[in-house]
Amino acid sequence: MVTETMSLLEQLWQWFADPANRQGSDGIPTRLGEHVQLSVEAIIIGALIALPIGVVLGHYGRFGNLAINLSNAGRAVPSFAVIVLAFQAFGLGGGPIVFALTLLAIPPMVTNAYVALREVDADVRDAARGMGYRELAQVIRIELPLAVPLIMAGVRTSAVQVVATATLAALVAGGGLGRYIVDGLARNDNPRLVAGALLVAGLALATEFSLSALERLISPRGVRLRRHPVYQPLKIV
Amino acid sequence: MAGGVFLDIVDPWINWNWLSTHIPTVLAALQQHVMLTAIAVATALVLSIPIGVVAHLWPAVRVPTLGALGVFYTIPSIALFALLIPYTGLTGTTAEIPLIGYNLLVLVRNVVVGLESVPPDVLDAADGMGYRRFARLVRIELPLALPAMFAGLRIATVSTIGIVTIAAVIGIGGLGQLILKGLIENFHTPLVVATILSIALALFLDLSLAGTQRIALPWSRKQ
Amino acid sequence: MNGIRRTVWSAAAVAAIALVAVACGASSSPSGTTSKGTITVGGFNFPESDILAQVYGQTLAHDGYTVNYKLELGARSIVVPALQSGQIDLYPGYAASELEYLNHGKGEATADPAETTSKLNTYLSAIGAEALTPSAAFDGNAYAVTKATADQYNLKTLSDLTGVADKLVFGAGPECKTYKFCLPGLTSVYGLHFKNTLVLDTDGPATRAAFKNGTIQVGLVFSTDADLQQLGLVVLQDDKHMIAADNVVPVIRTKAATNDVTGILNKISAGLSTNDLFTMNGEVSLQHMDADAVAKSYLQAHNYFS
Repeated sequence: MVTETMSLLEQLWQWFADPANRQGSDGIPTRLGEHVQLSVEAIIIGALIALPIGVVLGHYGRFGNLAINLSNAGRAVPSFAVIVLAFQAFGLGGGPIVFALTLLAIPPMVTNAYVALREVDADVRDAARGMGYRELAQVIRIELPLAVPLIMAGVRTSAVQVVATATLAALVAGGGLGRYIVDGLARNDNPRLVAGALLVAGLALATEFSLSALERLISPRGVRLRRHPVYQPLKIV
Repeated sequence: MAGGVFLDIVDPWINWNWLSTHIPTVLAALQQHVMLTAIAVATALVLSIPIGVVAHLWPAVRVPTLGALGVFYTIPSIALFALLIPYTGLTGTTAEIPLIGYNLLVLVRNVVVGLESVPPDVLDAADGMGYRRFARLVRIELPLALPAMFAGLRIATVSTIGIVTIAAVIGIGGLGQLILKGLIENFHTPLVVATILSIALALFLDLSLAGTQRIALPWSRKQ
Repeated sequence: MNGIRRTVWSAAAVAAIALVAVACGASSSPSGTTSKGTITVGGFNFPESDILAQVYGQTLAHDGYTVNYKLELGARSIVVPALQSGQIDLYPGYAASELEYLNHGKGEATADPAETTSKLNTYLSAIGAEALTPSAAFDGNAYAVTKATADQYNLKTLSDLTGVADKLVFGAGPECKTYKFCLPGLTSVYGLHFKNTLVLDTDGPATRAAFKNGTIQVGLVFSTDADLQQLGLVVLQDDKHMIAADNVVPVIRTKAATNDVTGILNKISAGLSTNDLFTMNGEVSLQHMDADAVAKSYLQAHNYFS
């Protein structure tokens, strides 16, 4: 088994070194680009939908149970099924995949945004009101900056999940790094399969680290991120 | 054939006729799914306690352990299933190994967090009462870590249910088999049924675990 | 400490209940029935393979064998190793495709089923298996176009594509680029160079969706697919006989290939026709019947159970 593993590693090295795998429609840059595009589109659209909803609900303190349990319910939805459903409903292409990924990205961001706004100290709110801030200004200039760390944590969790789930796009003839895994399986091409797995894992880790760094960067100094187990990173693929 | 898919009369999203004649098939898939999930979660739970305890007691072990489990976590399940086939064949074991690995991260992490959250006063009191180290661990610290472990257990269970569907891609059944059947045969019903059952199963188990926690650990409410 | 003891007991109770529930549900295998032996039948992940596996399996079961099924395993790259390692004993193969998989695409298959099968056996013997007598039933690669495309360019045969291929997009599965009787064959035998080749799936839902929304105009299907007419697809004739003998043939581990078993399987192969495949596929793909029910009614209609 050791020799098999060693030769697999050798083949893996060769696979990455092979120029055929570094260019063209099945090359690493293309597949990586497809994967990133699918993920980024889903996260951005998801954020545009989820964050305003979470922020508004959190600011007014409405529908709290729904907002918090949304992420629980979202976890319960099998991502494989959602991707296939989107394919059957809307057909081939990136659009249906982005739709499915967006649906999966929304719950954690809503929950985190809601809790983030709720966590803003009541005193701070009172002080702001006392100083004469109107509602919208209050939200934007006082509450949001304080809520940013937790909101970003939610975005980060969603992003990593989306990157991992985008792997499944290959099961419905989509592009992305999942292609290496699915094609490798179909062709009994182990180096390709392993390369695909490593690339996806690497991209997920890179997403996690870069968004963590971003989170630290944009968190206002003096705001300590209280580690609440609001939404733990979830394995869904 | 460009008609709106949602008005697809030829193949409705749920073909009740098919469903009514295939209840045994659906139930068999559900049962297989439950079994695969139960084995993965139970095994990981049992393993996570000693591993978590060790990681808690020896901080030098904690970072590499959680780190290794964390890296394993990022590897997509399809890849792991496929890679294990030459070693463990087309059996449930091939599905279980990655699932157990994924669950270990969540559960071990929660064991560690749970043990760490035991207030120092309690530890002092226990020492003062004469508890030896091991007894203190088993009778004081672990029970107090239970809420965190329960939280991890819920997350692990729900996520396992979702990942088991993917094992269908290498022929290891469960509800994923119905999803795959729906995909390959261009047939909506098994797909929709499997999705609904999968969500229902996840919610049911999540609520059951939450309920069990309420009953078993009434002192842990709201945290 | 009352609370802790209660915790432990509750947890144990929950676990016990769960285990009992799961165990009770698990089916118990009937013991005590005399069986001629156990055979595990495997299959690929498309409906026709399910049907053929059921046809083999139900006949063997009727004859007194204990039959287990491991179906929908996936592509050849999972099924063949499973046979080699003994996890399955038998699967319904397609002579030319099995040969080209085992010889790593050397291109040894011909249009003659007997010749192809004997070449196949030289490779199978190396992994402890053998292919029995090939059936007349044939299901090979077929290249289809939409009716609109066929009308537009007046296409009836693959040769007709020669002038217009560069205007059309071709779609197939991942293995098509390297499989001799797929893209390489289209290029070398017919001189076709498509505008673009998309990797979709092997005669699966993605290929069909791509036809539907016009992403591809030419695509790989299988010759016994029953839903081609419904999809408005026209198969182009292989006038230069590029496509090799993908006749249905049972591939079985030598250990399991007793005279009794091979006799049964050969009898099935002799009675199976391409039209049978087409009809049974239709029952599954169009009428959403189950493969095992379809196989059963086929066997009953052909008096295998008498």
